[in-house]
Amino acid sequence: MFTAPPTLPEDPADALAAVGALRRLADRVEDAAVERAVLDGWTWSDVAEALGVTRQAVHKKHARRLHAAGISKGGR
Amino acid sequence: MAFERFTRDARAAVLGARQQARTLGHHDVEAEHLLLALAGRPEFQALGLDRERLADALAAEEERSLASIGLAGAELEPAVAARAPRRLRFATSAKLSLQRAMKVAAARGDRRLTAGHVLLGVIAAERGRVPRALQIAEIDVEELRAQI
Repeated sequence: MFTAPPTLPEDPADALAAVGALRRLADRVEDAAVERAVLDGWTWSDVAEALGVTRQAVHKKHARRLHAAGISKGGR
Repeated sequence: MAFERFTRDARAAVLGARQQARTLGHHDVEAEHLLLALAGRPEFQALGLDRERLADALAAEEERSLASIGLAGAELEPAVAARAPRRLRFATSAKLSLQRAMKVAAARGDRRLTAGHVLLGVIAAERGRVPRALQIAEIDVEELRAQI
């Protein structure tokens, strides 16, 4: 995705806006990655450890969404 | 000012912002989602706000910001459940918009907080996604403020 090594924009407004854009991109990557892991049979504990967060944190953030989409059954 | 002081329209804007964030697959409710929700209201459309145009401007702002650090074509296969109901956080930018709306209402001596106050609170931001997107959408903030 990087066409060139990342460089900091001259304008601080652009540089700070890039931080927000990257955070939203990271959120999208997280959604897709957690979803794929759960589909592959990873437990919430596995996903949490891989992300470096608590099981409660990852469950709180993703369980409702994946459950609503029929991807996870909740629990574990 | 407590939520009870919000008019029905102001409450609808806050709930609408949650819906906007969810529809976009975002994890946080931000000021931009309040703006999108308010732009769906006929009285603000009459002032030149257009939800589609603002959504495009926000997307363009994101693309431009990613490009500014050399990240291009950040197309990612979206999560299947990206838009499923999720627990959303009410982020600082959205809280700040509401705080500014309350200040505007208080300064005007209005007892209730209206959707117009919320819009004034949102467009009061001088930095961040909202002013950047408004600029891309070529919306004159001063003119808009004067009309609300």
